[in-house]
Parts: sequence; C-alpha cells; structure tokens
Amino acid sequence: MANLTINGTSYGLDVEADMPLLWALRDELGLTGTKFGCGVGLCGACTVHLDGRAVRSCVVPVSAAAGKAVTTIEGLSEDGKAHPLQRAWIAEQVPQCGYCQSGQIMAAAAFLTENPNPDNAAIRAGMTTLCRCGTYLRIHAAIKRAAAESSGTST
Amino acid sequence: MNDIVNVSLRRREFLALNGVAAGALVLAFSLPGTLRAVARLNKSATAVALNAFVEIDPTGQVTVLSPYSELGQGIYSSLCMLVAEELDVEMDAMRIRPAPAEPQYMLTFGGAMRLTAASLSMRDSFDPLRRAGATARAMLLQAAADAWGSPFAELGTEPGHVVHAATGRRIGYGELATAAAALEPPAEVAMKDPADYRLLGRTVKRLDIEPKTNGQALFASDLRHDTMLIAAVRQAPQFGAEARVIDASQALRMRGVAAVEEIPSGIAVLADNYWRASQALDAVEVEFGPAPGPVSSSAAYREKLLARARGAGIVAEQSGDVEGAFAQAAKTLEATYDVPFLAHATMEPQTCAALVEEQRCTVWAPTQLPDGVVTTAAEITGLPAESIDVKIPYVGAGLGRRSMTDFVAHAVTLANRHRGRFIKVIWSREEDMQHDYYRPMAAARFHAALDGEGRPLAIRALVAGDGPERRHAPEPDIEIDESVMEGALHQPYEVDRRIDYAFEYAPAPIGWWRAVGHSYNAFFVESFIDEMAHAAGADPVDFRRQLLNKHPRFVTVLDRTAEMAAWRKEPWQAEDGRRHAMGIALHGSLESICCAIVDVSIDDAGKAQVHRAWCVADCGFAVNPLAVETQIEGGFAMGLSAALVEEITIADGRTKNGNFGDYPILTAPQMPAMEVALIDSGEKLGGVGELSTPLAAPAVCNALFTLTGQRIRSLPLRKHRLNSPRTA
Repeated sequence: MANLTINGTSYGLDVEADMPLLWALRDELGLTGTKFGCGVGLCGACTVHLDGRAVRSCVVPVSAAAGKAVTTIEGLSEDGKAHPLQRAWIAEQVPQCGYCQSGQIMAAAAFLTENPNPDNAAIRAGMTTLCRCGTYLRIHAAIKRAAAESSGTST
Repeated sequence: MNDIVNVSLRRREFLALNGVAAGALVLAFSLPGTLRAVARLNKSATAVALNAFVEIDPTGQVTVLSPYSELGQGIYSSLCMLVAEELDVEMDAMRIRPAPAEPQYMLTFGGAMRLTAASLSMRDSFDPLRRAGATARAMLLQAAADAWGSPFAELGTEPGHVVHAATGRRIGYGELATAAAALEPPAEVAMKDPADYRLLGRTVKRLDIEPKTNGQALFASDLRHDTMLIAAVRQAPQFGAEARVIDASQALRMRGVAAVEEIPSGIAVLADNYWRASQALDAVEVEFGPAPGPVSSSAAYREKLLARARGAGIVAEQSGDVEGAFAQAAKTLEATYDVPFLAHATMEPQTCAALVEEQRCTVWAPTQLPDGVVTTAAEITGLPAESIDVKIPYVGAGLGRRSMTDFVAHAVTLANRHRGRFIKVIWSREEDMQHDYYRPMAAARFHAALDGEGRPLAIRALVAGDGPERRHAPEPDIEIDESVMEGALHQPYEVDRRIDYAFEYAPAPIGWWRAVGHSYNAFFVESFIDEMAHAAGADPVDFRRQLLNKHPRFVTVLDRTAEMAAWRKEPWQAEDGRRHAMGIALHGSLESICCAIVDVSIDDAGKAQVHRAWCVADCGFAVNPLAVETQIEGGFAMGLSAALVEEITIADGRTKNGNFGDYPILTAPQMPAMEVALIDSGEKLGGVGELSTPLAAPAVCNALFTLTGQRIRSLPLRKHRLNSPRTA
C-alpha cells in the first residue's frame, strides 16, 4: 500500500512499489492530464511536481513519491481559477495538438519557481520538454508573460 | 480498504468529469473546457439540426459537426468561423464535435472521402461550411417571417438573432430553431461578399486551447472505463514478420494480467493497467518469424538510390530543347543529393480504443482517415460499415501518421475477441518508432547547362525513390508516383528542363509524412538553384527573381521575405562574436507559396545554430491568420528538426532507432526566433500545414554554404563535420 498525497488529497494505493507514478496517476486514479510520451524520461510529457520540483513521472516509482506532495496539471491551480501560466498559455495561444502541453506547463511552473525572472537564455536552457508541433516559441513567450505578470511588470 | 473504495469513487468522478459516463463511455467534446461542457452537453440534447453541419439548441448555442479531425492545426475553430460568419453568430456561441462517419461528411476529393490532410479541411470545406451557415440563417429568417407574418425581405440578423427593423422585433436563434428545422432548406442561398466578412481573415483565438492547458482535453489514450482492458503490444521487429506466443504462463500469473494474445505481426498483453501490461509483455516467450519482404538496410538502399540517380528514368516533365542546351553549354554544373527515412514521432504514440458488441463496433481513433477506420473495423469484425461507429478524440498530432490504420486494427482485433469489453491499445515509444510508415529515403541528381556567364540554359534532373502513393494504391502500376515527384515538377523558374522519375522499392513501410515529396524535393531543387546562383556569381535572391519573370506571386513572396529579413548575401561578424550568414529557399506547394530566410552560425560544438527565421506565405486568403501563423511556425520547426538531426536507420529488415535518445527531434534551444508574415493575394485557398516544412533544410544548407563554403547535399546535418566559417 502506497500512501500518496496528490493535489492535496491523500490516497492509499494498493499498487506495486515500482509502478511508475505516471501509471498510478493515469490508470489507478484517472488523472489523465499527465501524458505518456516515451516511458524513459526523455520527452517530458509526463512531468509532474514532487514537493514542487519537476520530475518525469514515467521514471519515478510510486515508492519514491510516497510521503511527498505530488502535483499534477489537474491540481496546478490551487484556487480553481486558471494558474498564471495557464492564462499565459491561453494568451499566447500556445498549444497545437496539445499532447505535450500538460508536461510543458508543469515544467514551466517548477522552472519559474526556481527562476522567477528568467532571461531568454535561461528559458531556452531550462525548458527541455519536447514538442513535435513546434510550439517552442509560444511556450517561451508564455513563460516570459507569466514571469512578467507575477513580478508586476507588464509585457 | 476504505482507501481503495475512495479511489474507486474518485475514479468515477473523473470519468464523469471527463465526459466519460461510467456505463456508457461517451466521448463528449465541448469547447472551451470540458467541465462546463458537460452541463451544456446535457442541454444540447434538445438541439435541433438545421442541416448536416449545424445544430442549434434552445439557448442559441450552435454546434458544428466537423468532418475533420483536430490534429492541432486549429481546424475546429476555423470551421466554426466559416459557419459563424454566414449564420451570423458570435464565436462564443459556437461549439463543435466530430461528425459521425457518414457519407454527407465526405467533402474531400469531390465527395469521395473524409480525410484530414493537405489542408483539405479548409480548402474543401470553405464553400460547404459557409453554405451550411448561410442556409441555416435563411431558414431562421423564414421561421421568423412565418411567426411574425412579416415579409422575409424586411428581416435581417444581428449576431444570434433575427430582427425586424420596422417593428423593432427581435428573437433569438434558439427560439426559432425548432420551427426553422421543419422548413425545407432553400435551394439557393447568397453568401457574403468577402468585403463584409466580420470574422474570416481576422485572428480568432482557438476554442481548443483552454482544455489543452488544464489536462481536460481528451485523447484516445485518456479514455477510461471500469471494465476496460489496456493492451501493450510488441510487433515482430522485422517489418511484416509473424509473431507466435511460445509461453505466456509467467505473464499470465502476473498481477492484473487478463490475457496474452497474438495479433497481426505481434503479440499483446491485456491488463488492468498499462504498466502491468508492459511488464508482462517482457515476460512472454515469443518467436518472431522471418520477414516476408526483402531484408535490407538503409545504407544499402541509399547506395541503390544514388546509383539510380546516376542513370536515366521516366520523363516526368520536359520543356524546350534540353539536349541542345547541354550540347552548346559553355560549362555544366552537377550535384547529387539524398535524404534519409524519417519517423513521424507524434508525441502521442499510436493508440486506439474499441468496443465490439453484438451488432455494433465503436472505435475511438485518433485518425486522419475515418473511412479507413470503418473499413478496417468492418473487415475484422465482419460487421457492415453502417455498424461501425468512429469517434475521434483530440489527436496527439497527425503529421500523416494517422492516415494509416494499423494501430486501429490492433484495438479492433482484440475488442472483437473480448466482445462487450472496452479495449485500449497503447503503443510504446519504441513500437511507434520501429513500426512507423516512414517518410521515404530519396536521392536526386541535378545537372545544369550554363552559358559563358554562368547563366542557366537548361536543367536536367532525376529523382529516385519510392512513395506512399504507389505503395498504398489499390493498383500499384502508377507510371509516375506524384508523391515522389511533387515539388520537383512544375517549378516556377523559367528554365528549360527535363525531370525524370526512377522507382526503387524502399525496403521499409513508407507513408505520408508532413509535406510528403515536397519535404525533400524542395531541398533538392532549392539547393541546386542556390548552387547555380553561386556558380553565376549572383546574389541568390536576385538570381531567383530573374528566373521568376512569369510568376509575380512568387516574386512578391520572395521580395517581401528579403525585405523583412534585411537580406545579406555575405557573411558578417555578429554581436555574439561569431560569423553568421543567411540562406534562402522558396517553394510552392498545395497551391500556396512560401519563402524562408534563416540566419545561421556554427556553435562551439561545430553544429549549425539557426538563430532567426523569416517566413512569408501566400496561401490566397488566411481564414484565421493565427492558425496559419502557428502552422508556418510548427511546420518550419518540423522541417528544421529533419534537416538537423532526424534519421531512421534500418538494418536486417528492421528499424534500429528506439526512442528519442537515438531519434532526437528538435528541442527548444534549437528553435530559432521566427517572424511570419502572410500575404493576402485573394487567390484560391492553398495549403498551410505543410507549407513551410520543406524550406528549412535548403535555407539552412544554403546559409551554411555562404558561411563556410561547404555544400551539404545529404541530410541530416548532424552526420557531417562542418567546416569553420570563412573569415572576412
């Protein structure tokens, strides 16, 4: 039995300790916003937060998540309103197919926590989630927009 | 135990939240935002259909039935715009859902099929969807005229309402819908003058964006049901080989595993959780049969293609006295190019869900070709086509991969054996990479006959390869495979030419990859044009312009791009301390024209770094400029990805690449800043989704030549050791 805290709710999950967190989220809990892309931690579509840090949930066993706060795209916004990054994503019209975007937004949220005022080079180096549709420029713009908003300056 | 019960309850909650009812697995697409949509969906049970494409509910909400799949190109929003424009409603009243697989939704190729590809979604629906909106509006006007006893001609509309100026009367479309639906649709209906467009041609925010930012957008892999079995599959590594289960006993003892099965060319494990299915797959003892086709390698095939390129082929295009031009040429120029096999690598690996019941089969398929899904499912189940219901969730990118139905066959095969149970098949990334229908490898040889000043007298070229058109045609005796030759033929440059086609069977599954033949022919043609320009000592922009004297649309796009980029024909020392150079490429495809200029340097690791890209496109008229711009950006990114890093390697009749580690795709730091401009020429609508993809490789390689003097004629760039920049 693994005790997990996901998006503020505690769950006792009767799953194997080595089940990747991704498949506990998706197939046991129905939190399907987190996507499967590669299974080996290379693409980032499955990015969630563990205690606020971005991790690739396809390579994090459930046992490693026990006792930590897991946040998924479904729980990114704490107050039920859109998170500043989600608003920025809409303003910049980022997604195309949308499949990688949960992972992109979760990666961006953790990145901004660590780098509240990133410059262009930091964003380029810090965002490593793959996007086949080529939305990278809009992702970049949305991160800048959200950073500017939260620091009180306008874009 | 209480915890588990809680989890189960929460699962039901999520099923409901996602619009998937616990017992019924209904895919409800609603925009924006699924949560609100569920409530709306319930309401729209009372919606009435005014025609095949337009439904209106009592609140005035309009639902468009989409014949096309939302692959990320923004087609849902653009189709809503077409209807909203003529129906006269605001965009926030618009919703859309996928249409069932029925004949009235076959708008492609003159009503022959339903296909989301080649921007046909817009090109083939521009008239029918506007007409559907205009017809519905006329019926609503007639219903109001009947209700009020007013002359039809005195009535008009304001967004969502019929109004009668003389009496000040006003009524919402929702209140008129039922009466309107009972009327005979008018045979003739006038559509708006483009000068009166309120929506079309203006940037409209996409309706599918919000659910794609909060995890609520449903993809096929997100479908859930309490009794669902989730399947992991392993196909025979060699293309088309058979697979046989030798011993499944260990796998069957593993937790959650329900069955181990043979499927066409592979095996499947069905379990209650995808990871459990994958783990058990590794525990199955399986024997793979020999490959049915020729076992070959990409290296051997490349040599064959290059050899074919040195010979003669079938003449596909000829103009002027090419032989004569070569006989009197002062000098000649020759170059041979080649490109590798490429994977689609959609971020959502191939996935499909299916349910087969007594007399019905429902398939949830991320597909570009619902007709193909029907055919595949009917063949497997033995049910008539009318009994196959295709539901199309959001598609985790199409890129041409989803016009094949191999992954659909997996889901339906398993569902047919487990009747009454929902089956969901998810391919691993490795399965997806190794069992793609690849962009074919191709090679070409170009010759130019030049006069004493280096000006071209004639071009002779041959493109050797194999294409999806021939491979997947019912009768594969095509003389000239357009899918190999498109982009090499009918180029706008005014030079006498002879262009040949040579078929050489590709030893791998091949398919339609974004921009298909254009994806490599633009590299061949635009590299060679650049080589000719340098041979003539001419500025590559001026050189192209001089050859385009009969094609003013191309000249406009070319000059606008050069102006936007502040074109520089010589390398320069940039502020970052490096030498930079620009390269250009111009190409027409799918009745549109695009030009790209890039600014390139070489980084410390000796790799090409593309800093900026400028793209100008003329697609006739951009229905939603935002959607077109994002397609130009994304299409260019995919072309750049292929140019820089992508290559599928085949050996022993199988694909050697497995995941993004050995099949890298473009990353964020490799993406250049882009400036995109659209030219509204008012010409016929052209394609946009594949328009910029072919330009990246030639533009970058042309820039590298200016920068280093090294001409790259074989992709991807990462296999080359690049020269250092020339010093000033």
